Amino acid sequence: MSTVALFARLKLRLLAGNLRGDLQRRLGFVFTLIMAAGLAVFGFLLMSLLRLAPADIATSLVIVAFALFLFGWMIVPLLAFGLDDTLDPAKLALFPLRTRTLAVGMLTASVTGVWPVAMLAVTSGALIALPAGVGGALLGVPAVLLQFALCVVTSRLITTSLSGALRTRRGRDVLAVAAVVVVVLAQLPNLLMNRGFGDPEAMLHQLAAVLRWTPPGMAAHAIADGGLIGLAELAFLALVVVALAWLWIKALGRALVTPDVSTQASVRKEIGLVDRFVPDGPLAAVVTKELKYIRREPRFRVGWFSALAITLVLSFSLSGTAEGTPGQGVAIVITTVGALMIALQSGNAFGIDGRSLWMNAVTFGSERSLATDLAGRHLASALVAVPLLGVIAVVTGLLTGHPAAIAPAMLSGWGALGIGLGVGSVTSVVLPYSVPERMNAFSGAAPGQGGQAFASSMGAMLGIALLSLPFVVPLAFGLLWVSVVAPFYGLLAETLGRRLAARIGFARLPELLAAVSKAS
Amino acid sequence: MTEAVRTHGLFKRYGQQVAVAGVDLVVPAGSFAGLVGPNGAGKTTTLSMITGLLRPDGGSAEVDGFHVWRDPVEVKARIGVLPEGLRLFERLSGRELLLYAGRLRGIPKGEVEQRADELLAVMDLSGAADKLVVDYSTGMRKKIGLAAALLHNPSVLFLDEPFEGVDPVSANTLTEVLRRFTASGSTVIFSSHVMDLVERLCDWVSVMSAGHIVAQGPLADVRGGRSLNQAFLELVGGPAHGREAGLSWLGARPKDDQ
Repeated sequence: MSTVALFARLKLRLLAGNLRGDLQRRLGFVFTLIMAAGLAVFGFLLMSLLRLAPADIATSLVIVAFALFLFGWMIVPLLAFGLDDTLDPAKLALFPLRTRTLAVGMLTASVTGVWPVAMLAVTSGALIALPAGVGGALLGVPAVLLQFALCVVTSRLITTSLSGALRTRRGRDVLAVAAVVVVVLAQLPNLLMNRGFGDPEAMLHQLAAVLRWTPPGMAAHAIADGGLIGLAELAFLALVVVALAWLWIKALGRALVTPDVSTQASVRKEIGLVDRFVPDGPLAAVVTKELKYIRREPRFRVGWFSALAITLVLSFSLSGTAEGTPGQGVAIVITTVGALMIALQSGNAFGIDGRSLWMNAVTFGSERSLATDLAGRHLASALVAVPLLGVIAVVTGLLTGHPAAIAPAMLSGWGALGIGLGVGSVTSVVLPYSVPERMNAFSGAAPGQGGQAFASSMGAMLGIALLSLPFVVPLAFGLLWVSVVAPFYGLLAETLGRRLAARIGFARLPELLAAVSKAS
Repeated sequence: MTEAVRTHGLFKRYGQQVAVAGVDLVVPAGSFAGLVGPNGAGKTTTLSMITGLLRPDGGSAEVDGFHVWRDPVEVKARIGVLPEGLRLFERLSGRELLLYAGRLRGIPKGEVEQRADELLAVMDLSGAADKLVVDYSTGMRKKIGLAAALLHNPSVLFLDEPFEGVDPVSANTLTEVLRRFTASGSTVIFSSHVMDLVERLCDWVSVMSAGHIVAQGPLADVRGGRSLNQAFLELVGGPAHGREAGLSWLGARPKDDQ
């Protein structure tokens, strides 16, 4: 019992320690509290309101919900690994604790917190939604607790068995990209629904019929059943929980004595492609470095991947919802949005360099050097983006059945890219923020800089939108020839934006450096 | 005596906390200078302000007679910097990092490649030259950081804790390179709190405490016949006697109680 109290206190102390001194973090925590309380109350109400739905639909929905909860518990801590110091067994390895004590302690730590409590509240909504009689209500309480235990134990088992891999650089690199994949996958059902596959009720029942046989499905079914079958299901569920807990304790025991596997250092060689077309000098140096970073830095890979994914998702919904065949504007819109998404990554150009930016700062003696740096970054992005936008234009043009739209789409895409890079270089120096080393799917900025990040991307989007109006409006009215001007207009915007950014940025180089060097 | 570095009343505060309270640092050209002080004395803040990485709230700094904040072009061409914490461009290999640093300063590629190869060889990093910096050990990072700082042949080198966390072999390589560098008339300024090292390497010492310079001059003058460690403890106010009260349990064996 003392272990439970100790670890619960440790977790609370860690939460409190996180909040000390920093107003923004405190506000963030209050916000989290409100969100979690909202989730608890609202989720509980929603769940219990299922009582009013027909019994079979309610059962199916709760089965799916329970399965989703388990899935959430499995992946969210993985994506957010590192949010909580009590979760990493290695931090506790040196204390003289028995594995069993440690297991109890870590379980306590992982249920101490606002989100787990909120989840427990939501799960218990099923107690009102489902039971058909006294039996169901009686079975409901253990069912909800078992479902909660199942979630906690499974989530512990997964993080513990992967904790070794997660501490290596390569593991984290993979995970960073995986986080985006998960976010995109989460869009999939939404897309399918949008396109109107079958009727939702039949789909729900089909899904529930499968999930019903998974442990969380059994928990939900047991509450609805309320009889002997329900009892048997709960007994099985309890066995599963115990087995998972046993596995987890084994994994914990192993994790404590297995040392960190150090990653095999990877060897890279210079190819020097850039030097064939960029004259020797600082510009070539920046382009070479940026192109390598786009390939090697997970945060860049995430950025590019999500830009493409968003474009893809958007093109699906755009071409899907239109009546009959999509208009010829669709290719133009999709390519331009793709350009916008790619350019938005440059809205905080120095964020990923972060604390290494001092190396540039001790070199740059004048505005010109900073302008060259920005030009190099833009050139590197353009080297990837220009062909990519070309491909997007061709593919969307062909798929929508308007080959004539390919050229205007490509040209306006390039124009939008130029505008985006120009605006992005200004936001990069006016509203710089640190991009945390360890990206998770929930935030793109270092703690306390969320506001800046938000303002920066909003500002960039607004600026790009305003500056694109001169050629977007004529295009919308069908004057496709205007797109010929777009790339030149974009180039102009890029040049002016870069000059302005260099002027502002050089004057506040130390502040810029400080803003992107926040510890994450 | 020409001065490589001179500051006048350099001042920096963070909120309520005054980190550097009017520092007049003087370092003669060609010296191997140590900036020593306890943790939190303001060494890193001072060095950051002299190298143009941090804007001072007051005072001025000159390097080779050029004002740091008014003549950044002249100053930045003359200084090499190895800051604390050592964040480098992690996703470049050691060689690529040197190439980037050199070419960013406008040195032709062929020239940078040759200098990089020589530096890598001297630093004993040739074997690891094509590995990513993110996979380097602390000693390797300090060495590649020093190589990047030396690449453009600066006349004044600023090193913040260059020997912290470095194994004796790497430390020896670092000191050899730095000695050669000062022997040619260039200046090295490094911060440290390892007195033995400062005593062994430096001919000029500046002692900082609580944001002030409390002593400054040739090593022999500052030391004044004592060991530098002794002189340092007296200057910054070492531990008074009588602090051993308490801790009586420490080192006591359980059987002693019985």
